[in-house]
Amino acid sequence: MGLWIEILRSSILAAIPIALASLGGAFTYYTDVFNVALEGMMLVGAFLAVIGSYFTGSWAMGLLVGALGGLVIGIIFALFAVYMGADHFVTGMALNMFAVGGTTFTLRRLFGIKGALVSSRIVGIPSWNIPLLSKIPVLREVISGHPFAVYIALLLIALSHYLLFRTKWGLRLRAVGEDAQVLDSLGVSSRRIKTLSILGSGILCGFGGAFLSLGYVALFAEGMTSGRGWIALSVINVSRGRPWGLLLVSLVFGFFEGLGMSLQGMGLAPQFPQMIPYIITIVAVYVYSRRERRVKAA
Amino acid sequence: MRHRRVILFSLFGVVIAVTVGLLLLWALGYSALEGYAYLLEYSLLSRTALFSTLSRAALLVLLGLSASTAFASGALNLGQSGQFLIGAMAATVFGLFVNLPAFLQIPLSLAVAALAGMLYASIAAFFRRRFNMNELIVTLMLNFVADYFTQFLIAGPLFEEGRQSPASPAINASGWFPVYKGFDTGILVALLAFILIYLLWNRSKTGYEWTIMGQNSIFSRIGGCPNEENFTKAMLVSGALAALAGALVIMGGIQHRFMPGIKANYADDGIMIAIVANNKVVATAIYAIMFAIMRTGAMGMELETGVPLEFVHVLTAITVLFVVASREYSQYLIDRFSAFLRARRISSRIEDYAGRDSSGSMD
Repeated sequence: MGLWIEILRSSILAAIPIALASLGGAFTYYTDVFNVALEGMMLVGAFLAVIGSYFTGSWAMGLLVGALGGLVIGIIFALFAVYMGADHFVTGMALNMFAVGGTTFTLRRLFGIKGALVSSRIVGIPSWNIPLLSKIPVLREVISGHPFAVYIALLLIALSHYLLFRTKWGLRLRAVGEDAQVLDSLGVSSRRIKTLSILGSGILCGFGGAFLSLGYVALFAEGMTSGRGWIALSVINVSRGRPWGLLLVSLVFGFFEGLGMSLQGMGLAPQFPQMIPYIITIVAVYVYSRRERRVKAA
Repeated sequence: MRHRRVILFSLFGVVIAVTVGLLLLWALGYSALEGYAYLLEYSLLSRTALFSTLSRAALLVLLGLSASTAFASGALNLGQSGQFLIGAMAATVFGLFVNLPAFLQIPLSLAVAALAGMLYASIAAFFRRRFNMNELIVTLMLNFVADYFTQFLIAGPLFEEGRQSPASPAINASGWFPVYKGFDTGILVALLAFILIYLLWNRSKTGYEWTIMGQNSIFSRIGGCPNEENFTKAMLVSGALAALAGALVIMGGIQHRFMPGIKANYADDGIMIAIVANNKVVATAIYAIMFAIMRTGAMGMELETGVPLEFVHVLTAITVLFVVASREYSQYLIDRFSAFLRARRISSRIEDYAGRDSSGSMD
């Protein structure tokens, strides 16, 4: 029982960065921008969050700087992909490399270290006991007392759902993906909406990365996102960009990651449990393609 | 004419990138020109430096060709790093358990590695063909699986007793590439692969069909090309090339053993190279050499001026962005300008027509 609660708790923690990144990617999913820069945005977010927290001693500044870092990558992406007509895939890949290079370079330059930045000066995101949640028996052990950003993430998901499906702006955003020229002909700039969706995805990915480095742990390691941006991309596909759907799929991923971590303590060679999230992603792609086929056949 | 324009704008991008690099170094408080001078000195201006640049270029040519072969035919194989590791592991296992005379050992070892890479790439190709699963994500995820799997092997079954950190034992010496005065003969493998891939793209039916498929897969299908088969072929060739690079790392150099971190950034560089080269075979080789110069020279630059060698990672990413953007943006501007000219021609013709026919038959 205690073990399962531990696994469920850690699955929520592991799910949040992926959920945030895929929420960001959902915006670009609807505007038909092939956003492969999620990984880079997350990495920059994770790095700058740690840097911000290290130098200001405040996790709030860390989160803010992390989100801003994602935003900056988003701005570059939009500039190249939307305004200069560069290929989305190419721009995104270059930005991912830029993120890897930029973070390792800055790490070397600021601290003279390679690998990981671990320091007591990095202030992590504090945990929160939400008064109501902590009263529910059993469930409280799973859902209460998480870093408070978990609850912010849930709010963001609800907000995004409202934004995408209940507002004029959301309608336009989804329309861009359907047919950008129709919007342009009606006097709504599809470029502007595309840009906004990319910037939004940058902020959310930056936030997701910040959660990874300040909420999940309190350190930065080179390449610490380790494919989570790509996992987020497949989460978006499977859930078709529906905010609540992608939360659910992210939780499934989180569960397997948590399971993997618990298995590592049980004498199995650690490399196999570590493979689990990636294999699950392949399974998710399989599920998605099967459903696509059914939809086509119907 | 079009080729010249593409080359011109690529050069333009390189010039911008070099300038940005200079400015960046200068802004960070380093002596920029001196840094560049050391970069060139440590990558080209001595025999050791030149040969180590060439060895690195050999790997990057193979990985760049792996990416460009896939991309140009429309197969999004991003699994270079996984295929590289599997190739390296296959060469290691072969080199540990088989011991033949060198003239058999070396080619067989390369063949085994290439085959392993093909096999690994075929997983994604199979999933794509059988279940229509996106190969981009599958190949990427398989990179992580390969990484953990090889880590497991060198920490467990292949671990050499008595070492502090995980690594395999050294492979049998018959599988080592001969080194002549510092020149690693493994480089010739890359040269040979380059020639073969060039011929494949430019002189073979498959290469022609790949080109058409990469530009317009619907057109090639209607034209009667076996797209499905060609896709698989592209994935397999791509996987084999990446795996050969892995084998080169094990069979060449000094260590001759599988150690953690041997994949370095080669695979990512290969993808970048293919992208800046616009997936063209010759351009891939040229950029591979350029990247190799930067990577090898970076160590010298760090030694002499204290610029962290990771600076080059930033610089290559910036180069890619600028080259691609200048290539595509110029195309965009030219398209717009020609559209503008066409519109003006049409409007003047309408005016001519309206002027001639002023009796008012319109409306």
